Amino acid sequence: MTKEEIQSLYKDKILPENKAPYHFEKVDADHSVKAYNPMCGDKYELYFENDDQLLDQVHFHGIGCAISKASTSILVRRIEGMTEEEAEEYCKKFLEAINSSDPDSLSDEDLKILVELKNFEGRVDCIKLSWEALYDFLKNKTS
Amino acid sequence: MRNNAIVLFVVSSVSYPKYRFKLNSYSTQFPVFEEYPELAYLDNAATTQRPKAVIDAINKFYISENANIHRGIYDLSNQATTKYEAARQAVADFIGASSASNIGFTKGTTESVNVVAQSFLSKRLNQGDNIVVSILEHHANFIPWQMLAKEKGAELRVIPIDEHGDLNMPAYKELVDQNTKMVAVNHISNTLGTINDIAEIIAVAHTKDAPVMIDAAQSVSMYPLDAQYLKYDFLAFSGHKMYGPFGIGVLYVADQHLSEIGPYNYGGGMIKEVTIEETTFVKFPKNLEAGTSNVAGVIGLHAAVEYINQLDRAQIQSELSELSQYTEELLQSIPGVKVVRLPKHHSGIFSIEVEDIHPHDVASFLNKDGIAVRAGMHCTQPLLTDIGVPATVRISLAHYNDKSQIDRLKASLIELIDFWS
Ligand SMILES: Cc1ncc(COP(=O)(O)O)c(C=O)c1O
Repeated sequence: MTKEEIQSLYKDKILPENKAPYHFEKVDADHSVKAYNPMCGDKYELYFENDDQLLDQVHFHGIGCAISKASTSILVRRIEGMTEEEAEEYCKKFLEAINSSDPDSLSDEDLKILVELKNFEGRVDCIKLSWEALYDFLKNKTS
Repeated sequence: MRNNAIVLFVVSSVSYPKYRFKLNSYSTQFPVFEEYPELAYLDNAATTQRPKAVIDAINKFYISENANIHRGIYDLSNQATTKYEAARQAVADFIGASSASNIGFTKGTTESVNVVAQSFLSKRLNQGDNIVVSILEHHANFIPWQMLAKEKGAELRVIPIDEHGDLNMPAYKELVDQNTKMVAVNHISNTLGTINDIAEIIAVAHTKDAPVMIDAAQSVSMYPLDAQYLKYDFLAFSGHKMYGPFGIGVLYVADQHLSEIGPYNYGGGMIKEVTIEETTFVKFPKNLEAGTSNVAGVIGLHAAVEYINQLDRAQIQSELSELSQYTEELLQSIPGVKVVRLPKHHSGIFSIEVEDIHPHDVASFLNKDGIAVRAGMHCTQPLLTDIGVPATVRISLAHYNDKSQIDRLKASLIELIDFWS
């Protein structure tokens, strides 16, 4: 990715999400999932209420780079209202798309951008951090 | 035109924007800068670049000298053995050790520290004893002691820093006592660049008969570390931070402890006699080198030592300290940039924070301008927790860097801060 491409991605998508992240606050919740990257120190906690296996209200809080924060914010916004199974499937599809670099398998524009950002050298862990943590949590819960 | 440029970016996986910039006279000896003349490599604390002499020595070994050492009764093997042992002597001379038998080869600083923890201290550490480390330590010189202390019911004591990031020496003097069985500190902090007064640290420990291990990973490339003068008990460093190869390091053990270093790994090449019932071992350093050694690594390390020996280190130190001063001034002149600590005794390593911008984002954007820095915790989590900073951007200098690169760093940071706001 060229510097100009990176700048425009940041300007259009990452920075707005980073400056006004969705449901960015600590809350008392039924469940919480920690997403932590010990290599760089990025650390988030995802909180959710679930009524009848439905992810009713999802919040998150923590510290990390603009990309991990934007990615977590998009995740939180998207899974709110899904069932646990739906959210698990959703995370799985996204992680598959990113591992195979196939943004076209996703319909959501925001997610496509995240997958494209994978080409931003060395930052793929930042994008995947919260998705992987949530996916592992939900998978272990159902199995 | 633009499309062509993009194609070029795709063809080469590493691409930096082209700057017209003159290589300094040291950097011409480093092939990587011929490949990327525009690269401002400011990540020297992670690993230095390698001069041609080192790369050539390793190549030459594999092309025309390759054989395993010690066991072959033929010319190539004998020659490899001779070269391997000549390297040991060269390392001994380099740090002023009294003999080559004080020098053991390891995989690096990390392994050297673990050897001393497991093969020396483990058998003499008891409940009620203590180990003294500093809050500045790299995990490599922290976790091995922490684990050992836990296992033995001993106490881990941690020397604090003052507001500048220098070690609090009065506090240190209070921490060392008759029950101190090891003092382990780094010479230069890989995160703040603090230069510790190791002569004083060693002298204080020795008044209580406590042995001292110095982690010289960050200092060995340019700072004198004379064993006879400083009288450290153990010294550890890595080849890859002194212009040498990856995967090779050194453990120096002082004469009085030579017989107390037991084997670390078990295997071939380190035994006196093996029977079904038991095995007896040779002494340090051979008892450390179980299995086939990293012979090419040792040859490359020797070349790195020779490379350093032919430099005018006093001259380079004064140039580096000028560059460091320049870097400090430029960093402090940028609104929104904060140097997290500026120790009074300081080398060319800076940890900075950029207002509102996470270190990873800073490093990614600097990368796009051809500037290589590191972002994160730098394997010093206790230190960052202590100073209350989640992560930093680290800039670390070497003699092949120059002021024009620091100017570019400044311009790039200003542009980023502007872009972000
Ligand atoms: C001060 C210090 N100690 C120890 C180490 C570990 O060295 P190595 O990874 O070569 O074993 C490093 C490397 O980052 C360091 O900077």
